[in-house]
Amino acid sequence: MIRIGRRGILAAGLAATALPRVLRAEDDLLYGAGDPQARRGGRVTIGSLVEPPALDPFRQAADARIRVSVLMYQGLFYEDESGTARPLLAREARVSEDGKSWTFALRQGVKFHTGQTMSSTDVKYSYDFMRDTSKGSPGAGDLSSVEAIEAPDPHSVVFRLSRPNAALPMTLTNKYGAVVPAGFLDDANSGTRMNEISVGTGPFKLRSFRPNSALVMERFADYWQQGLPHLDEVTFAVMPNSAAMAVALQSRRIDLGLFSRPQDTQALGNVPGLQVRRWPSLNQKSLDLDCNYGSLRDVRVRQAIALAIDKKTVMDAAIAGYGQVIGTMVAGMQEAWGVPLDELPNQRVDLDRARRLLAESGHPDGVEIDLTTIIGYDWMDPAALAIAEQLRRVNIRANIRRVELGVWIRNFRAREMGFTFNDWGTTPDPSLLYYRHFRAAPQGADFRNWNNARASALLDRGQEVSDPAERKRIYAEFQKLLAEEAPTIMMFSSDLLTVNTARLHNYRQHGTGWYFGLIRAWAG
Amino acid sequence: MIALIARRLGSAAVAALLSALAVFLLMRAVPGDIVAQMLGQSGSDRSAEAALRGFFGLDRPVHVQFLDWLGRTLAGDLGASWYQGRRVTAMVAEAFGVTLELGLVTLLLATLLGVPLGMLAGIREGTRLDAAIQGFAMLGLSAPVFWVGLMLLVGSAAFLDWSPPFVYRDFSDDPADNIAILILPVLSLALLQAAAYAQFVRGLMVAELRREHIRTAVAKGLSPRAIYFKHALRNVLIPLTTFMGLILVQILGGVVVIESLFSLPGLGRLILSGLQGRDYPVVQGALLFVVLLAIGVNLLVDLLYAVIDPRLRR
Repeated sequence: MIRIGRRGILAAGLAATALPRVLRAEDDLLYGAGDPQARRGGRVTIGSLVEPPALDPFRQAADARIRVSVLMYQGLFYEDESGTARPLLAREARVSEDGKSWTFALRQGVKFHTGQTMSSTDVKYSYDFMRDTSKGSPGAGDLSSVEAIEAPDPHSVVFRLSRPNAALPMTLTNKYGAVVPAGFLDDANSGTRMNEISVGTGPFKLRSFRPNSALVMERFADYWQQGLPHLDEVTFAVMPNSAAMAVALQSRRIDLGLFSRPQDTQALGNVPGLQVRRWPSLNQKSLDLDCNYGSLRDVRVRQAIALAIDKKTVMDAAIAGYGQVIGTMVAGMQEAWGVPLDELPNQRVDLDRARRLLAESGHPDGVEIDLTTIIGYDWMDPAALAIAEQLRRVNIRANIRRVELGVWIRNFRAREMGFTFNDWGTTPDPSLLYYRHFRAAPQGADFRNWNNARASALLDRGQEVSDPAERKRIYAEFQKLLAEEAPTIMMFSSDLLTVNTARLHNYRQHGTGWYFGLIRAWAG
Repeated sequence: MIALIARRLGSAAVAALLSALAVFLLMRAVPGDIVAQMLGQSGSDRSAEAALRGFFGLDRPVHVQFLDWLGRTLAGDLGASWYQGRRVTAMVAEAFGVTLELGLVTLLLATLLGVPLGMLAGIREGTRLDAAIQGFAMLGLSAPVFWVGLMLLVGSAAFLDWSPPFVYRDFSDDPADNIAILILPVLSLALLQAAAYAQFVRGLMVAELRREHIRTAVAKGLSPRAIYFKHALRNVLIPLTTFMGLILVQILGGVVVIESLFSLPGLGRLILSGLQGRDYPVVQGALLFVVLLAIGVNLLVDLLYAVIDPRLRR
């Protein structure tokens, strides 16, 4: 198995945090490294364990949607693997001295899949739609600092902000929303129409989408990046489970599979013609602690839980050790933004202190608590058993409760999560990682009812400051507070594992788990 | 006969209405709705939730939603999928095509395999052959269908270096791929149903062969062929027809697992993904269809019964 080093990918990480006054496009750096031997043509089939419920980038938050829609739809920036927001549909970005005005020069000659040429009107229209909370876009909250968008001429747009936002370029990447032709979203059925046609500017366009079966994309002939993409057609086949995906790879029914549990690929390592690779990720497997829930209201109980958990053991049980233990930052961003684990509180197992804290909190005989796992997230079941065992040592009795994903999301959004596992990822900027989750309402969603004024002030400040060193200091302070108060316990980031056949070349897996790598991949 | 049909249709209509109400209420009793699914862990505020809830009509009282849906359904409009935007009627028809193909081929194979085995075991009661067939039946009945499916999938890759394609294609588009993708799911389901058949038919044959008219036939010196096929099998046919209907309903009900295991976009998958995504129109429409289908099959079986046994026509 080939392991792709974090250091290599993140070499530019720290430099990436610097926010110059002007950002210029560097096309060679978009979508990873090119391959001089690449040939055009060919069809590949990708096995996917998850299926997008629908393809609308404006109103569907599902990660399964983002994975594939990034190939058809583009934003103004691209979330580079190193953590840099690189101009994509923008050619250049300039920020004013006060940080409250961003001017984007747009690429010219960019075509939509509809054949229309992109202009500033389309950009303004698309982002205005996205930030309008009455339209129901999950990305609206991330754009709350935008007061107005102007289109002074066909090739430039200006974003006016109520407060500086250093994370704006990373916010304008490809997770939510995209640039689409002006007027397209006016139709009430535009969301579902995007299951039949794609209207983005991306390198692939939609050919067909048959739910519960397959999604087919074809090369967009008028794509603006010369020579890209290489592949003529990409089919995403919905795979029922990882065992079937392994079988499909062995029999060459599919060319690439992205596995969610690393141990599922172990049997494939010795199969001739298959390449198994590990990639660093931007995901995190965590425990969330609702600060309004029973005994978890007391910070000392939350700290006792943190002190009783041995993250490494949990990671070994859950994903056979194929990942990285983390403190308060996802593995893919640790070098650029993370505080070293030995500088963070409550990271080392200390059972005596945990027992003392429980006694001080009025629970000398321990506490009983429900621990929620989500059905279908296989790693959570062994992890829950390991954690229940570890907590038992300090007399915290955890009753494992399995809930269906829809129920879990409802509870999470209603801020009634209790004590639960979570599995989520981020685009590589600390503001996008923390703000909506931990900033007190109404600016943030504060799902865990932490309601911490100091944390909120730090998160506001981290968004406003553009000096990279100062930003890093602010987020370091925030992370120490997060570790100290433990509204969440980030445990580990699991490596992403891809298995591909020998005919698929130059595929690189992006840390988000999204399929950007197919843009520069080619079939031999 | 007409009175029988009218009676059955009347009770079928009541059953369908009650089922529709139950499905409607059950879907709404499950916590979480499509809005939460769409917004996920994003930090969107309450107004985004309210906007989406209004868009889907979820902000109206439940009884208003039900009456609206019922009115449209009675007019033949099951609405459109909230995710796909396609008409539910078209989605159900497309998915049912896949399920029906799977179901009918399975039924055919299970019948061709199970009925002769059951007859043979019944005729050769107490012999080694009987024991072997009963052993097969026990194995088939006790092995979970997903396990059989998974073993066939892994086994075919390991020993035959072959696996089915995982992208479903209609028979009219690509017959070879269509057949290839159906082989393992049909085998998985047919094994179970053939076992059920064998057990059932064996029991009937054993009972039938002990009856007096068979003894009389033997005493008359009729050939075994005439005894088994003309006298015994004929009487076995009536309960077997009922059983066949039940088996078909069971196959159609049991395909959820097998469709999921082999990536078949059938009715089971449609309902399951609708449930997971809280796509109410799809789940309501598809389940109503399944209920009507089950009622229809049972009605058909009753009518066939009447055709086979003239006494029931009175």
